[in-house]
Amino acid sequence: MTLDYRKAAQGVLDNIGGASNVASAAHCATRLRLVIRDNAKVNKEAVENVEGVKGCFEASGQLQIIFGTGTVNKVFDEFIAISGVEAGTKEAAKEAAAQKQNPFFRAIKTLGDVFVPIIPAIVASGLLNGVLGGLSQAFPALADSDYYAMINLMAGAALSMLPILIAISAAKKFGGNPYLAAVIGYVMIHPNLVNAWSVASMEAEGTAIPVWHVFGLTIQQTGYQGHVIPVIIAILFMSALEKWLHKHVPEMIDLFVTPLVTVLVTGILTMTIIGPVFKVVEDWILLAATTLIQLPYGIGGLLIGFFYAFTVVAGFHHMYNMIEAQMVSENPPANIWMPVATAANVGQGAAAMAVAFKSKNPKTKELAMPSSLSAFLGITEPAIFGVNIRYRKPFIAGCCGGAIGGMLASWFGIKATAYGITGLFGFLITTGYWLQYAIVMAVSFAVAFAVSFITYHDPEPAPEAAPAPSPAPAPSAQPEASSDAEKTGKVVDVYAPLAGRAMASSEVEDPTFAAEALGSGMAIEPSEGKVYAPFDGTVEMMFDTKHAVALADSNGVEVLIHVGIDTVNLAGKGYTPHVNTGDAVKKGDLLLEFDIKAIHDAGYKTTTPVIISNTDDFSAVKALKTSGEVRPGEPVIEITT
Amino acid sequence: MKSFKYTITDPVGIHARPAGNLVAEVKKYASSVTITNPAGKSAAGGKLIQLMGLGIRQGDEVTVTVEGADEDTAAPALENFFKSNL
Repeated sequence: MTLDYRKAAQGVLDNIGGASNVASAAHCATRLRLVIRDNAKVNKEAVENVEGVKGCFEASGQLQIIFGTGTVNKVFDEFIAISGVEAGTKEAAKEAAAQKQNPFFRAIKTLGDVFVPIIPAIVASGLLNGVLGGLSQAFPALADSDYYAMINLMAGAALSMLPILIAISAAKKFGGNPYLAAVIGYVMIHPNLVNAWSVASMEAEGTAIPVWHVFGLTIQQTGYQGHVIPVIIAILFMSALEKWLHKHVPEMIDLFVTPLVTVLVTGILTMTIIGPVFKVVEDWILLAATTLIQLPYGIGGLLIGFFYAFTVVAGFHHMYNMIEAQMVSENPPANIWMPVATAANVGQGAAAMAVAFKSKNPKTKELAMPSSLSAFLGITEPAIFGVNIRYRKPFIAGCCGGAIGGMLASWFGIKATAYGITGLFGFLITTGYWLQYAIVMAVSFAVAFAVSFITYHDPEPAPEAAPAPSPAPAPSAQPEASSDAEKTGKVVDVYAPLAGRAMASSEVEDPTFAAEALGSGMAIEPSEGKVYAPFDGTVEMMFDTKHAVALADSNGVEVLIHVGIDTVNLAGKGYTPHVNTGDAVKKGDLLLEFDIKAIHDAGYKTTTPVIISNTDDFSAVKALKTSGEVRPGEPVIEITT
Repeated sequence: MKSFKYTITDPVGIHARPAGNLVAEVKKYASSVTITNPAGKSAAGGKLIQLMGLGIRQGDEVTVTVEGADEDTAAPALENFFKSNL
């Protein structure tokens, strides 16, 4: 039964409001991913009834239509051919989907996109600052040395030039010319302007700050050291102006007219309107954040510490980079946000660690322990999404730890010298507050761990029942399951296909499999010559030489079970297949029998790599078991879609 | 559309490692690449499992078809790849 790809593509197109309703199209291993302009024109039921469609659902701003491996690319080609829609990459489709999210989240994401690329510069400066501070405390003589003076220059550079870095990063994000942006950034901190950090002391001394009289306005000649929002707005404007000019200025004079006008107009507007107005806006935001965090008795830290993890889940923690950048660019740097964030992160890590200790389920343990460790180093997503939220109570326990730790952090008034680092490495940027910082982490850890340990109980039925893949031909059940999972990254397990000793791919005595060149996974040294289905799915390929079998499940996971090393040369001798290509199988069905002794006698190893041959299609493929005995049916590989 | 024929010299044929290398090579190009074995069975050059499923051995003559925007550069490049690796 070959599918008529053109008919399938036409069927889809007819039921989604035609080509004009498609903003962009892409496909992954199993699904056609379309960004639709008007969802009202989509008839999902009709799409599901098109021959070849195995399911249709909406997720992350895309209409996703499941066709399955090997089919979707052909339908996609026909779809592009008949609709005339430009083929987008997967990234382009995701980008277009982001466009459809609400403006508030888009703005926050934009801020994140501007600040994340410059973190290395901030970290370099911040670490130098921290280390230099620590050393000169230990060896006071150092502070007078030339070494100190020289390195101190480097420590200060990134922060005093922050507007230039932000301008370049913002131009890349907004599509403006980064060099022109650097010029605007430099204009804003030009040495001929009064340094923003000196303004307060000049006012205190009664020194007059020079002013300009232009366009009927009186403008103070002050720089924008330590300001971020005015820079971003200026570059946003500059990029729009530059693009407009490129489009409207005749090509012959574009080369000099566009840069000239762009810099002149942006510069004037920045000095007169954008700068002064957004400086005030920024001061308010910063004032709000610092006031909140410094509420008396540590209440501010308590609140932020508690809700911090919620904001990570909601995705607006990207905004904090901006607040922290502002705090860091004060003179001296005073990032009081970071210690509270550390408390929240350590709390989530500790809560996950308590789960690792208390759970009796080996799979939960193996997931929880590494996620908790990475949280202590500042990467909380695995602990929050992988463990804590799944079981709810650990998440709240983590928030409690964060709250108490955050309260202490704001009590102690810990000030960090950089941003972008939390957790254990945070010591490097909290010189002078090491004891307080250690106490904050210890208390967050203790509270979260205790609450989580007391409240957590292994759920019954076992949690892995939920993500168990459903058999391929179940279009009605599939969409909800997948759409729900798309948001968080669905976790799919592959179960051991054989009994024997588990090992890491790297231990396989074959360079190709050891390097995981064909995909990630693990391997089993079999103790019994029987291969069972690792999940519900279909036999993608029973090789002619019977020594390997490939299967696919309804999530598009393709697994290759390769019995023995170089055993292709046996041409099937010693192997007895029990299924054929195209057969539907249930987890645990016998697929293949092989004669271990005969294969060994022929001079070959029976080591069996179990690999995900389309590893690239997933966000993560992780071996769960790489040592000890395994029995068929035990989870061995975990895939995050 | 461009195509060429090539007789496999690699002792294991287009299997595990050679197949993996071929997939990686094919993915460099925008064109769709189809490999056909002597029995007339075809597989997409970018799909490891399909490719290995052709069971191509040493001495088999395969037909490689390249179709797409960059076929003019992809076809000769792939032919070279086959000659030096397979």
